[in-house]
Amino acid sequence: MLDTATSEDDTNLLVTIVDTNPLAWQQSATAKIPLSLDDAIRQILIFFNAHMALKHDNKVAAIASHIGHCKFLYPVTDAETHRRQANQYKISKDANAYPNFKDVNDDIIESLRSLMLDTDTPQKNLNDGTSMISGALSMALCYINRIMNQDDLGRIKPRILVLSVSPDSPYQYISIMNAVFSAQKMSIPIDVCKVYGGEVAFLQQASHITGGVYLDVENPQALLQYLLFSFLPERYARNYLCLPNKEQVDFRAACFCHKRIIDIGYVCSVCLSIFCSWSPVCSTCRTKFAFRALPPLAGKGRPAISRTASPAPSAAASPGSSSPMSTT
Amino acid sequence: MSGRKAKKDDDEYVDIDDATDTHENEDAQQGGYSWEEEYKRSWDVLQEDAEGRLSSVVAHLQQQMKRRRLLRDTATVQRGIIRHLFLVIDLSEAMNEKDLRPSRLELTLTYARQFVTEYFDQNPISQLGIIVIRDGVAERLTDLSGNPTDHLRALKNKRNQETSGEPSLQNALDMACASLVNVPSHGSREVLVVYGSLTTCDPGDIYDTIAQLKKEHVRVSFVGLAAEIQVCRTLCKETNGSYGVVLNEAHFKDLLFEAIPPPAVTQTRNTSNLVMMGFPTKSNDLHPSFCVCHSKLTVGGYICPRCSSKICELPTDCDVCGLTLVSSPHLARSYHHLFPVDNFIEVPWSGINSLHCFACQTAFDSSPPPGAGLESNSGRYSCPRCHNQFCVDCDIFVHEVLHNCPGCWAAGSNISTVQIHSKKQPAIQNDVMPMQGVTS
Ligand SMILES: [Zn+2]
Ligand SMILES: [Zn+2]
Ligand SMILES: [Zn+2]
Ligand SMILES: [Zn+2]
Ligand SMILES: [Zn+2]
Ligand SMILES: [Zn+2]
Repeated sequence: MLDTATSEDDTNLLVTIVDTNPLAWQQSATAKIPLSLDDAIRQILIFFNAHMALKHDNKVAAIASHIGHCKFLYPVTDAETHRRQANQYKISKDANAYPNFKDVNDDIIESLRSLMLDTDTPQKNLNDGTSMISGALSMALCYINRIMNQDDLGRIKPRILVLSVSPDSPYQYISIMNAVFSAQKMSIPIDVCKVYGGEVAFLQQASHITGGVYLDVENPQALLQYLLFSFLPERYARNYLCLPNKEQVDFRAACFCHKRIIDIGYVCSVCLSIFCSWSPVCSTCRTKFAFRALPPLAGKGRPAISRTASPAPSAAASPGSSSPMSTT
Repeated sequence: MSGRKAKKDDDEYVDIDDATDTHENEDAQQGGYSWEEEYKRSWDVLQEDAEGRLSSVVAHLQQQMKRRRLLRDTATVQRGIIRHLFLVIDLSEAMNEKDLRPSRLELTLTYARQFVTEYFDQNPISQLGIIVIRDGVAERLTDLSGNPTDHLRALKNKRNQETSGEPSLQNALDMACASLVNVPSHGSREVLVVYGSLTTCDPGDIYDTIAQLKKEHVRVSFVGLAAEIQVCRTLCKETNGSYGVVLNEAHFKDLLFEAIPPPAVTQTRNTSNLVMMGFPTKSNDLHPSFCVCHSKLTVGGYICPRCSSKICELPTDCDVCGLTLVSSPHLARSYHHLFPVDNFIEVPWSGINSLHCFACQTAFDSSPPPGAGLESNSGRYSCPRCHNQFCVDCDIFVHEVLHNCPGCWAAGSNISTVQIHSKKQPAIQNDVMPMQGVTS
C-alpha cells in the first residue's frame, strides 16, 4: 500500500522510545552475544546522526522507558537546559564535530546519566520488572500531537521507533492498545526493534496495526547495521522498499479463565471478556446473563469448542445443558 | 504607518468578534433557540482585565470553548458495546432549505460520512445500516453490516443524494424495525433519524408503529433540522431515545455525534449475554483461492475456525455458518469506553507544580500575568490521580483520542499507578493479560 500522504520534501520527525530497563540490559550484557546499554547507546546516537544528516530539517526526539517511570531524553525542557548550562556540562567543544549532532548527543548522554543516577524515584512498579512502555508511547503521541498542531503546512511526518528489551507486561495491555489505536488514527507507524529478549506480542500487534516495521535482532552486536538498513528509511522512501515484517501475526485470543488459546470462545457482551465456556455470571464485570437457549445455529452440529481446548469444558459449556436452564 | 496600525486594529477586532460569536453559541445551547432570545449585545460578555486589555479575556474564552466538550461523565458504567443502528436520512424537498450552510442536505451528507467513520472507529464490532426517505417511501441504502466502506460508498453515490417529494416517517421506522427484530437481543437496537421536514406522509397510524418499536425495545433518537414536532417528541420519549433540534451547524454535529459513544446499559432489562465468537487465523496460502464473501480469487485471508471457509476482512459474520469473527485487537479497541480517563482539573496559579507540560514538554508561563489573581487559571490541567500537570492541548488529546493519562502510566515518582488501577478494577486488571494475540 502506497502512503500517498508523504512526499520527498517532508520533514521527518523520529520519536524513539529507548527501553532503558536496567535489569534487561544487565541480562543482555551477559548473554551469548552480549550488548551492553553503553554500546547500544553509542550505536543509537550514530543512527540519530544519520537520520538528521539525511535532510537538513529532520528532527529527532527520544524518550526513555525506564522501570517505573518514563522521561524525555531529548529535547530537554528550557529549565533543564539552563540548569545544565549553569553547571557547565557542555564545556568540551570539538572543532571536528558538527554542532547539531554534538548538541543532540550531549543532551541525550546527560539525560541518560541523570536517569541512571536517580535512584531516589520510588520504584514501586518493580513488581514485574518491565518498563513503562505504555507511558512512553502516550508521551510520544502527545508530543507528536503538539508538533503537528504547530505545523500548519502539514509537512512534518512523524514516526515512532521502539527499541525494546523488556518482556510484555500484561497489566499495560489496555493502555498500550489505546496508544496503538490513536497512532493508527493519526497514521503514525510504530516501528519495533526487538534488541534483546523473547517475542513481544503487544508490540508485534502495534507494528502490524499501524503499518510499521517489526524486526527481531539476531546479532545484537551489529545493532547499528539493523537500524540503518531497516529503520532509517523515511515514510516516503518506504513506498519503494521492501522492509522486514512479521509475516504471521496471530490474532487468536486466550480465554480469561484458563489462559488457554482458543479459536472459538464466548465473549461477554458488556465488557468483552473472553471465556472458553458458557457461565451464568461474567467473572470480570459481574454481569448476570439472562438464561436462554443459544441461537439455533450455535447448537447445531457445533464442533468442539476449540482445537486446543482439550477434554471437558464444564457442563455449562455445551448448549445442550444450557437450554434446560432456560426452561426452569 | 497609520495604514499598518489600522490593519492591526482590524485583526484584533475580528479576533474578538470570533470569540464572542462562539461564546454566544455556547450560551444559546444552554438557553433556548437563538430566535427566542432577547437582543443581546455581544460586547457585554467581555470584561477588560486589570490592565484594560481584552486579549487575556479572549484567550480564556477560547480555552473554555475548547474544554467544554471534554467535561463529560467519566463514571465507569456498563455499556452496550455490540450495537445495531439504523441511520435514517430524510431526502424530502424540505432538505433543500439553505438555513444551514451550504444546505441542509449537503451538511447532512457530510456529517453522515463523518458519523459512519467515527461510529466504526468507536464501535468496532457493531453494525450500521442506512435508510433514506423520499417520495413517501423508505429506501434501504445499506443493510446492517460492519464494513464502513460499503456505507461510505452508498452515501457518496450521486443517485442517493437526490431529493424529492414528501418523507414518510412511518415507512422508514417500519423498515428499520423489521430488520432490527432479527438481531440477537444482546446487542442494542437503535434508530437515529435526521429529519428536515415538518410533516410526514404515512400509510397508517404512526402510534401503532411507536407501540411496536417500544415492544421490540428499539431506541429511536431524533435530530430535527427545522422545529420541534410533537409526534417525534412522543416517539423519542416512549422509546427512551433523545430528541434535539439543531440551532446551528456546530450544534447539528454535536447532536448527531452524541449517538457515537455506546449507550449505557439500562438496568431494567437484562439483555447481556455471552456471545459466541470465532478468532480466525490468518491464512498465508501462496495459491489464490475463492473467498466466501466476494466469491473472488484472492491470496491470503482469514479462515473461519468452525467451517473453514475463507473470509477477506475482519470483523464480520461468517457467510457460511454465521459465526461472528473478530480479532483480539478489535475487542481491545472498545476497552477505553469501559475505563475512561478522569476529567482533568483546572489548576490555579497557587497550585502549580511544574514549569512544563508533563506529556509534550511545552513550557508553561512561570508566573501569573500582572493583575491576575493567584486563584485564576494558570493554563495547566492536572490529573486527579497522578497530579501531573498538562497543557490544554494535551488535555483534549488525552480525553478525545488517546484515552490514557500519560502521567498515570509514566510516572513512578508520584504514586504507584498499578496499585491504584488494580484497586479499582481488580478482576479486569488481572484478567486482561491473556488477551494478547499469540504468535505461532
Ligand atoms: Zn477458559
Ligand atoms: Zn463482563
Ligand atoms: Zn472476499
Ligand atoms: Zn464459518
Ligand atoms: Zn502538553
Ligand atoms: Zn494521571
